[in-house]
Amino acid sequence: MARADRAFGILIGLALVSSAILIALLLTLVPRAEQLLARGAEEPADVVAALVLALATCGISLGVFALFRQLAATAVLIRSLVARKIALPASVAQAAHGLELDQRIDVVADERPFSFCYWFLRPRICLSTALVARLDGEELRAVLLHERYHLQHRDPLRIVVARYFAAGLYVVPVVDELVGFYALQKEIAADEYAVSRDGVGALASALYKLLPDADDISLGLLVPVSSLSVTEARIEQLIASRQIAPTLSPVSIGLSGGALVAAAVLVAVQGGASMAFAALPQLVAVPGLLVGPASLLFAAAVDGGLHQLRPQSQRA
Amino acid sequence: MGKPDLRRLRRPEKAEEKFLGPLEADVMDRLWRRRSATVRDIVEDLGRSRELAYTTVMTIMVRLHDKGLLERVRDGKTYVYRPAFTREQHRARLSRDLARGLVAEFGDAALAAFTAELDTVDASHRATLRKLAQRGGRGAR
Repeated sequence: MARADRAFGILIGLALVSSAILIALLLTLVPRAEQLLARGAEEPADVVAALVLALATCGISLGVFALFRQLAATAVLIRSLVARKIALPASVAQAAHGLELDQRIDVVADERPFSFCYWFLRPRICLSTALVARLDGEELRAVLLHERYHLQHRDPLRIVVARYFAAGLYVVPVVDELVGFYALQKEIAADEYAVSRDGVGALASALYKLLPDADDISLGLLVPVSSLSVTEARIEQLIASRQIAPTLSPVSIGLSGGALVAAAVLVAVQGGASMAFAALPQLVAVPGLLVGPASLLFAAAVDGGLHQLRPQSQRA
Repeated sequence: MGKPDLRRLRRPEKAEEKFLGPLEADVMDRLWRRRSATVRDIVEDLGRSRELAYTTVMTIMVRLHDKGLLERVRDGKTYVYRPAFTREQHRARLSRDLARGLVAEFGDAALAAFTAELDTVDASHRATLRKLAQRGGRGAR
């Protein structure tokens, strides 16, 4: 059950280290930017500094934008749900008995069967009437147990934080992939929690009843066909408890590593180390120490930035 | 009689619109069995089990046509209706739209969902899950 926590921990750890490196770079560049504004670009290093500052501005904007987008989408969703809220059906109250979820469950009128945990400091569980109608008492309890895990771990808050870092650190695309891995692990952990309390039957049955009705028609538009969907991975976990490794693409590992190394080199060049490199002929020093790292940063930035601009539903 | 078509063009197609009310479901059921029928045919068919006014059935069928679930061709003074999709196609469309609707609505919101409805699940995983549900001493759907 600790795997989801570990995944989140690794994600936050990497995000903080990356942020520290990038902020260090930003701080060394700020004095240069002031000079640049005062008297224009005089040497190649000035241009690199200006471009890196532009990247940083993009990162901050993307982070703020990601926060805003998530909060706005959540607010709109909650407003539409509150309008359709109904009194707690007896079946739900009965299924929730003994789970310490008093006053934490909302049931909303919707023809689509769904359930989720939402809100940040004091999360709540939302169930649709279609889900309640489709499931029996034990299945409902399994779903409530699953959501109770999310509620106790404040997963909605963790998601906001994780996505904020993924957007702000768009030059380190591995962070975004770790968000996906964490998103999967938390579902598996929530399933494991429900199974540990009430057994596998009720949860499997609930999951089965909620699958889309399309046995042979592919809905492949939503997830890449090559990898397991979240639900498929959850099913595998229910049968075999097979440990699922994070799927990090070599490209994003390369770009992320490259971007961080490049940032560290630029910090060193801009800071005290520049004295040591001053001895090198400029023809070697400039491309080697500035343009090289800077272009790695830009490559990572373009790749990650375009990805972060897309809404969650359109990401592969 | 061009008006319903115009209305259909203007109105955005929503997932909910493909859901059927009880009477709509009855009418679609008859049409899927008969393949094509006039309003009169359906009134007579349904009329065996209950009392239904011609205008009620006509309203339902015009609405189903507006929703794009029925096609129609004029035959003399009356229209002959037929389903635009097979029953299976309709079900697949419904669940695809459900999934798309939920993803579009919830995608950017910060929440942790019991996500089964949003995902693709291939036939072998589906079968495995079914077995798992039954092995746990339960009868799944």
